[in-house]
Amino acid sequence: MDVTSQRTGGALIVSVEGRVDGANARKFQKAVESVIDDDDGAVILDMENLSYISSAGLRSILLIAKGLQKRNSQFAVCSLQDAIGEVFRIVGFDKIVTIHSSQGEAVSAMGS
Amino acid sequence: MNRPYKILVVDDEPDLEPLMLQRMRRHIRAGRYSFVFARNGLEALDRLNEDGDIDMVLSDINMPQMDGLTLLEQIPKVDPNIRSVIISAYGDMKNIRTAMNRGAFDFVTKPVDFKDLQITIERTLAHMMEWREALSYRDKLVSIQNELEVASRIQQSILPSEFPDDLRYQVYGNMEPARDVGGDFFDIMLLDEGQIGLAIADVSDKGVPAALFMMSCRTLLKGVAIGLTEPGAVLGEVNDLLHEDNETMLFVTVLYAVYNPATGELTYASGGHDPPLLIRSDGSVSLLPLTDGIALGVVPELEYKQHSITLGPGDTVVLYTDGVTEAQNTDGSAFEVDGLHQIFAGSSAYLKAREGTDLVFEKVREFMGEASQFDDITCLTLHRDN
Repeated sequence: MDVTSQRTGGALIVSVEGRVDGANARKFQKAVESVIDDDDGAVILDMENLSYISSAGLRSILLIAKGLQKRNSQFAVCSLQDAIGEVFRIVGFDKIVTIHSSQGEAVSAMGS
Repeated sequence: MNRPYKILVVDDEPDLEPLMLQRMRRHIRAGRYSFVFARNGLEALDRLNEDGDIDMVLSDINMPQMDGLTLLEQIPKVDPNIRSVIISAYGDMKNIRTAMNRGAFDFVTKPVDFKDLQITIERTLAHMMEWREALSYRDKLVSIQNELEVASRIQQSILPSEFPDDLRYQVYGNMEPARDVGGDFFDIMLLDEGQIGLAIADVSDKGVPAALFMMSCRTLLKGVAIGLTEPGAVLGEVNDLLHEDNETMLFVTVLYAVYNPATGELTYASGGHDPPLLIRSDGSVSLLPLTDGIALGVVPELEYKQHSITLGPGDTVVLYTDGVTEAQNTDGSAFEVDGLHQIFAGSSAYLKAREGTDLVFEKVREFMGEASQFDDITCLTLHRDN
């Protein structure tokens, strides 16, 4: 699991790579929080290179989203691989987390 | 530590006692050290046994009755955590080596340089305190481990171990926990008018908080299910109860179904849970449609849709958690829903509930081979008899 970030337009793009499971979900959450804490704007979690996420990882995303909600920052995820999209759909989180098909789409949606 | 470190000095020379007390007087007055004295190894052992709170031993080697080297061998039998420092003649490497091999922590040489001795004492005590701390951490870990095992046993013990005995249908479930506590459960509830409630659930994450969340989820579900007959309404109610004060954002995916043995009607609602597998008596296999519900505990005041199907004689429904579909083999590939399909594709109408559940466990284990199990594996099968 690897977390990197870059600023594009009005949003901070946080990219996660590899697997997020019970063993590293907390590490993942801390890594994301440490980059978004330096910022006060919108956050896009890019999952293009995320190959697997367990329920513990989904919980971390909820906690990240909750933290952003508290400081009134927009949050979205983008570029989900098919299997990850399916996990979001089954658990029903596609209804509570904004999902965009690409980073570009997410950035322009955030800008408006 | 509030009390002074207690140091036992063992030497047959009577002069050492007043000298030690005089040279160390500042540290004694400051409450750092206290000294007790013995004239040989035997006396020293008596003191160790009687006092019980001696932290370190400072001993001469050549003494009547029992020498220092013999004493060194005896000290661990009284208390293995006491540290010893040997006082030897200058250049007596043979005895020093023997003493070190017998577990002495350090040595000083005669004539005693008290400044050097004090540094040696401090070093010894520091080492001893670190050692004691490590021991106490180890003890704490052991006790946490024991508590986790108790929690894990409780988790197992709340699962149904007896299954309804009815000529019209069978239900059989099993759960195999991963190493950590928390996670999955299933339940079977006898409801009004001969109906039965079937639940299977998977709590996000592991550990004690997840296990507690699981216990409350299971209790709430049982309580609510007895009062409400519609699965969608049951999930809605449990979701609201779980959501209250859920700062941890733990959530649980639940599939809850009510089966009517008189009609074969099965009504189910899913709160973010994997869709059940339906095996018709002709051997055709399909996934039941999802009802689009969100996992429980995250968002309040949700309405959960439900869906009904009718089981014909010989039909089977398999409920499972993602521990089944996400089980990995040594190559890192997952069992997937396809794996489940393949187990049952073309299987005959004679497949019973217990066979169904056992078959899932057998095939998943076979698939995993030597790979480790990361998640609880749970399966609950309902079969309508012919």
